[in-house]
Amino acid sequence: MSELTLIGLFAGLALAVALYALSLPQGGLSWWGLAALTVALVLAGRAAGPSWGGVICLDFAELAAAALVWREGTDDAVRAARRYLWAIAPAIVCTIAGQALVGHGVTPPAAPMDKIALCLLLIGFALKLGLIPFYFWLPPVAAAAPPMTTALIVSVVDIATFAELWELRHTASWVFTEHAAIWMGIALLSMGGGALLALAQRELKRMLAFSTIADLGLLLTGVVAGSPVGLAGAQIGAVSHALSKVILFGAVGLAERRIAQPVTLDTRGLAARLPLVGAAFVIGALGFIGVPPGLGFAGYWRLYVSGAEYGGPALIGALFLVAALDLLCYVRAIHRVWLGPAQVVVNGAPAALAQATVMVLAVGIILLGLYPGMFTTAVGFAVAAVR
Amino acid sequence: MDPVFAPAGVLLAAAVLEIALARFLSRAAKGWLACLGAGLATLPVVAMAAKVLHGDVLTATGLAWDSGIPIAYHIDGLSVLFMLIATGIGTAILLYAVRYMEHEEEGTTRFYVLMLVFIAGLVVLVCSANLLVAYVAWEVVGLCSYFLVGFWYKQEAGPNGARKVLVITHLAGYGLFAAILLLYMRTGSFLWTDAGPAFSTGIALLMLVAAMGKSVLFPLHTWIPEAMNAPTPVSALLHSACYVKAGVYLIARMYSIGPWHPALGNLLLLVGCLTMLIGAVFAVAQTDLKRLLAFSTVSQLGYIVTGLALGTDLGVAAGLYYTVSHALFKGTLFLCAGAVQHAAGTRDLRKLGGLSGRMPVTTAVWLVAAAAIAGVPFTTGFVAKWLLFDAALEAKQVLVVFVAWAVSLVTVFYFLKATVSVFFGSGAPEVRAEHIHEVAPSMRLGMGVLGALCVVFGVAPQVLMRVVVEPAVRALGFTWQIQMTWFGVVTGSGAVGVTAGAAAVVAGAALGAAAFGFTHAPVRGPVLVFTGGDPLPEDEALGAVDFTEIAEAAFAPVYALDPDPLYLRIWRGVMGVAESAQDFAVRVFEEHPVATVVGGATVLCCGVWLL
Repeated sequence: MSELTLIGLFAGLALAVALYALSLPQGGLSWWGLAALTVALVLAGRAAGPSWGGVICLDFAELAAAALVWREGTDDAVRAARRYLWAIAPAIVCTIAGQALVGHGVTPPAAPMDKIALCLLLIGFALKLGLIPFYFWLPPVAAAAPPMTTALIVSVVDIATFAELWELRHTASWVFTEHAAIWMGIALLSMGGGALLALAQRELKRMLAFSTIADLGLLLTGVVAGSPVGLAGAQIGAVSHALSKVILFGAVGLAERRIAQPVTLDTRGLAARLPLVGAAFVIGALGFIGVPPGLGFAGYWRLYVSGAEYGGPALIGALFLVAALDLLCYVRAIHRVWLGPAQVVVNGAPAALAQATVMVLAVGIILLGLYPGMFTTAVGFAVAAVR
Repeated sequence: MDPVFAPAGVLLAAAVLEIALARFLSRAAKGWLACLGAGLATLPVVAMAAKVLHGDVLTATGLAWDSGIPIAYHIDGLSVLFMLIATGIGTAILLYAVRYMEHEEEGTTRFYVLMLVFIAGLVVLVCSANLLVAYVAWEVVGLCSYFLVGFWYKQEAGPNGARKVLVITHLAGYGLFAAILLLYMRTGSFLWTDAGPAFSTGIALLMLVAAMGKSVLFPLHTWIPEAMNAPTPVSALLHSACYVKAGVYLIARMYSIGPWHPALGNLLLLVGCLTMLIGAVFAVAQTDLKRLLAFSTVSQLGYIVTGLALGTDLGVAAGLYYTVSHALFKGTLFLCAGAVQHAAGTRDLRKLGGLSGRMPVTTAVWLVAAAAIAGVPFTTGFVAKWLLFDAALEAKQVLVVFVAWAVSLVTVFYFLKATVSVFFGSGAPEVRAEHIHEVAPSMRLGMGVLGALCVVFGVAPQVLMRVVVEPAVRALGFTWQIQMTWFGVVTGSGAVGVTAGAAAVVAGAALGAAAFGFTHAPVRGPVLVFTGGDPLPEDEALGAVDFTEIAEAAFAPVYALDPDPLYLRIWRGVMGVAESAQDFAVRVFEEHPVATVVGGATVLCCGVWLL
């Protein structure tokens, strides 16, 4: 996937977030300023490509995102922002130091610098992406921040960080090939642990945060496998992840605003009062977990193929197990929260523009999933491994 | 565009039109548009049926669904058989739906779009040579059924049923996906036509799991009774034309993908026999008309799969003929059940009764379809069962014959219960009301056409065999040596045994008719039962509840085979593990972020150094 495609994706997502926030305010001027700064830094980082300028822009984007959470001002938000910063600060140091040692070189530095570099990169990226066990900042941020703040973090900042990782796969592939077991281990732990922890959540925004962790673990398997089909799967999966999370957080945000309380598994029958928002959540959820014909499946089938090639039936079994947990988790959320008789008071109609935004995105992931060739051919995912 | 893409194309175009014209069309007009779309989609299928009659295969490659993944069609006799079922019976069901859905205040556009995409999904599934595209179609069919079963999403029952449909069938569908991945790893191709020797027994078993989920085979059948809280056209499409037939298609198609290990056939025979037995026994205990029909679907799918599992030309022919026959009579039965519910406002057998006087056409159509499912001569059901018995005898599977025969008796038993409870005797006060009347003409036409076909192809089954079943059997690599005449009389090997069996059945039926005559049971009013002596007092006559209680007492051990409690235990186990993981994660990771970072970093560094 080219830089231009990524920039287009992030710009599109930023536009969706802005339209949503215009209709359903997420904060005052400071929110708009910090959100714009975050997006601008991500776009600048991507435009700079794999260079020090790009790395520094993305690191500043992380800090701007943390400030975006902090500005919310509530006790929970400030506490979440502190945790976020506590994760980001060492992560920035680790990734910069790691990349300095690696120097974007195709050959590893001399021992023991190669292992030190690897350790630094592993810790840095795991902290930034919230992989297990370094996930402690993401669920509190999701619960405390406004939905579009979280959407910006998981759909724009996190995916931009993930893009750094797949670039590293191209520029310094030894980082992955020589210690693939460690990378795959952390990917599987995040995938399985995230899915399991998501299932245990009662609050929807925390559940969405844990499922983000699980999905990033799955995407990481494609990067670690490193085959063309695996990398394409990770990239398409990342696009689907970004779109779906804006829909999901957006739908929950719309519902929360109308019921004036957090959406939990005890909030029943929301779709009876907010049918379009409910439809968007259902589509976003099923698309996110890779149920055809959502866009997610176009990424998932590639990841499964690469998993089969890389790890054989054992890895395939693990992927299916996590997919089953994801399904159980999201189906429970759909049925406990959205479907069935309304058992919650909903005040007024949802913000029209915000609702339209999530609906357009939902229709988009269905159309792209029905005919993924429209997207994959356009952005050049000619998967050589597939006949 | 190649004309082979026309059926799916027309259906999807109709769905798009439904959305585009939603604001301008009345509810009935949307129904007529959907019906027209399905009807038009049937025409190219009929044209294709003529082309594949002599064993030709129609192939075409369309645009790339994904980069490097073209939409490749391989249309043979088997594809045409299932396409005819999907589009033909789908049309009749949509015709019925026009008036049925006319009173729905919201969601009719959603309903018709989903119904059309549902049918299109099955068409693509059975035509696609590309297994990945077939899997997408498989899941599209699954998702459409999920949304259709949960059509009344503001109520409790519909979404609950839909949830079960999605979870069981989607999880089982991973079997198909895993099989596709394994085939791809071995052949480097997603085309099933390239599979050949790479199609191992393990891969076949994975596909079988997926088929079991879709085709309600034991123990993955428990979603189907819960799916009954949907609009009746949905139930009819689910049970007769599209959904459960997807699994049957997959099982049949496995014959053309690659060679079967005989053990797989034996396993499938066991699954088929267990399914037909358990479905029938559970059907006896139902007091809800649609749930009874749902369990009868389970049982009938057992027959179909048993036929396919026999692995002989006669067995496969029996399975495929049974598939068409089941689509016809089960579609009819569901539409009749919907008509009853539409008119009487309930489908509770304990409340229904005496509707034959108020709904004579529905009663007549029901009787024809019930006769077909029971295997009464001159109906498709008789021909299907006859073929199956013949095939099992020829394959020396005497136990299968016995089980199938015993289940036939149970089938007659519970259909007698349903028929008498709904149409004869007298119902609860609310169903005796004057307002109950026959349903709209288009609804009668929809179910009447299907009912009539049960008789037409029961009298002249050789037409269906020659035009539809024979090309399908040949497409699966079997030779065709079946000589069938009027009324389904087979004149090949094994016919003597079957004829003797049929004679016994006819004698039994005559005996039953005589017993019925001696009891002088009135057509309307309370049902009296011959007890061997004086009739029971009026208020002690046997009803649906008594039948149910007798069945529950007699078949108590079988009811313990309900796998739902096991699934519930698995769910609770998973939730228990998730909650324990959550407790651990909160205590260790979330409450101690500094220790987590330091500890996690240390573990990673150790791992890097040691591995």
